[in-house]
Amino acid sequence: MSLSVITMNRIVIIQAFLFLSFTFGMVSPAFAGEPQDQLRQTTDKVLAILSDPVLKSQNKVKERRELILKVVDERFDWEEMARRSLARHWVQRTPEEKQEFTHLFKELLERVYMDKVEGYSWNKISYEGELIDGDYAAVKVKVFTAKDQTIQLEYRARKKGNHWLVYDFIVEGVGLVNNYRTQFNEIILKSSYQELIKRLKTKSTQN
Amino acid sequence: MKKFNIELAVGLFVLAGILCLGYLSVKLGKMEIVGGKGYEIYAIFSNSGGVKEGSNIVIAGVEVGRVKSIVLENYQARVAMSLPHEVKIQEDAIASIKTKGLVGEKYIEITPGGAEKFISPGGKIRETQPSVDLEELISKLVFEKI
Repeated sequence: MSLSVITMNRIVIIQAFLFLSFTFGMVSPAFAGEPQDQLRQTTDKVLAILSDPVLKSQNKVKERRELILKVVDERFDWEEMARRSLARHWVQRTPEEKQEFTHLFKELLERVYMDKVEGYSWNKISYEGELIDGDYAAVKVKVFTAKDQTIQLEYRARKKGNHWLVYDFIVEGVGLVNNYRTQFNEIILKSSYQELIKRLKTKSTQN
Repeated sequence: MKKFNIELAVGLFVLAGILCLGYLSVKLGKMEIVGGKGYEIYAIFSNSGGVKEGSNIVIAGVEVGRVKSIVLENYQARVAMSLPHEVKIQEDAIASIKTKGLVGEKYIEITPGGAEKFISPGGKIRETQPSVDLEELISKLVFEKI
């Protein structure tokens, strides 16, 4: 009798142990997926705005854009992006110039990518895993379009407090920061920083 | 005595020949004897796209170093690069794999960043871009048209 009690106890302990290890086993990958989770939340919010029938009418275009921008703002580190794109020339700028440049750079990206985000018929987004290295992370995403094409994206994010903020993204192996870094460097070396600002400003007034 | 002199001369001549040959093979093979000067950093690429040991490392079109080794690590390519001490790489520099011309050889281009911190010997270039598969891109372009 006492023997069976002992074995029963043992079984309960083993079951509890198994249960615990199982739940902890479940918890840890979700914990490791922090950058991916945060990115997914942002993407889901943007998709929700895009598919909202109330916001789809023509006169709501501006309102919808502002809503999307607000969501994206929370996830993107514009200053870091601008700093990385300007690279060596960033250090030589005054704080006011840095602020102005960040603003213009953000406007440029908005113009370039807003149409793409709004116009795309995103069928499905699958998250292909992430790599975390200290305060840095890379999240791989695959986008399936309505035309059955796949686009490979990779987000690079950096941890600031509790948030993972995106500072670069790579579309089909072509990086955003690297692209602008080369272009800005060329313009600055050929003419001047002022010329770059002038160009960015004329571009923003074109729209 | 005379015979000894001739043998000595021939011996010296052969020795000089061997030394020249050694020098040539080291120079032409672009090998480095005893480690060479400089330091080593590495980068992880999702696709090394055919970069080989000895491929060039280029900054602003100037050859600054060479690929020392490529190994598979966690199904990604870990590329070790050796660079001279006077070439410092910023922490936010970007290493990308490029092709000379359309079908030319592959090389690694480093676009310098703006960070104040430099990568120390043995450190890692965090930002990398894999080689762009032109064939794949063209096929995507072709299929979109249909």
